[in-house]
Amino acid sequence: MTLLDVTLQIFRYKPGEQPHYDTFTVQVDDTAHVIDAIDKAWAEHDHTLIFRRACHHSSCGSCGLRINGAEKLPCITRFSEVWDGHSPLRLDPLRNFPVVSDLVVDVSGFFQRMSASNMSITRDAESTLPLSVEDLDAVVQPKEVELPDNLSRFNRFENCIECGICMSACPTMAVDNKFMGPAGLAAIYRARQKTGDPREVAHLLALADGEHGVWRCHSAFECTEACPQAVDPAGKIMALRREITENRIKKARR
Amino acid sequence: MATHEHHKVRRAGRWFDVRGRKLGMWAFALNRIAAIGLVVYLYLHLVVLSTLSRGPGSWDAFVSLARQPYFLLLDVILLAGILIHGLNGLRVTLMGFDVGVKKQKALFSAFMLVAVVALSAAALKIFGG
Repeated sequence: MTLLDVTLQIFRYKPGEQPHYDTFTVQVDDTAHVIDAIDKAWAEHDHTLIFRRACHHSSCGSCGLRINGAEKLPCITRFSEVWDGHSPLRLDPLRNFPVVSDLVVDVSGFFQRMSASNMSITRDAESTLPLSVEDLDAVVQPKEVELPDNLSRFNRFENCIECGICMSACPTMAVDNKFMGPAGLAAIYRARQKTGDPREVAHLLALADGEHGVWRCHSAFECTEACPQAVDPAGKIMALRREITENRIKKARR
Repeated sequence: MATHEHHKVRRAGRWFDVRGRKLGMWAFALNRIAAIGLVVYLYLHLVVLSTLSRGPGSWDAFVSLARQPYFLLLDVILLAGILIHGLNGLRVTLMGFDVGVKKQKALFSAFMLVAVVALSAAALKIFGG
């Protein structure tokens, strides 16, 4: 194990103050993740440093930020992936979200977009707390849970950890803050795959076809590139466009 | 609570910030640069055409200027803009029909290769002819 002296250049902002960068040097081992260095900066240098993290293994999606400009989850990003060995590592909050303080952004806009599709992020099997031993059995045994036959077609979205990284990476979000965004549109696609009810399908497609829906996407594919969970939001947006276009052609032929 | 970068025009500047970004973002930025260039050209073209209203003398003077090598270079730049924007637009249209989405980077590279070949041939013709 080799110890590294890493310099972090961290974006700082407190309400009523001018944004700036603070520099902290910490020692971490060469297998450390970036979140470990942020933890040390907080513990050893500045307890007023505000950042978010919980699971440390890419499940909660709370620690998303930008490392040298690119959106990452610092809990799974090793220094060997992002650090050149001598320059300060720049850490910024996610873009396209209001900054609350330092590295923490207000992600409520993200969840508002997700709720537009009435999409339950968690699987049905996980959405209800067990009330009895029987219920517990039903939850933990996959065979008890009714899953659609074509699960493989849309199960990638189940991997969404709601980190907001796709919204930060999206160039359209920069100029259209009403844009439903990659995760919101991927959620619509997921909800659309889940239902065969024509009224529900029409509602979801109308949502995607709106002024701030799929047509605002400019195909930069940064959401798909940045997504740490391979949800592929851009692919879902293109699939929605295809279905909307096909429906329009069918309608015109009638 | 405040926004990190709250000015809309400043945020639009991110369109051209490709540091640490992947090929799709380069395609996005190039498309915008080419589009802005083509819009500027359109207005310049209208201004140039307006010289016709000032009689044959003005027009002939412009044509002799347009035959200068440095002016011909502008033709090559214009053609580059048309090729980049047109071919990339075709790629985006295919994506919109859910065609080749998984191969979007390869498609961009292939179209840009076509653009380079076509531009080279055109440049040879413009300067050689």
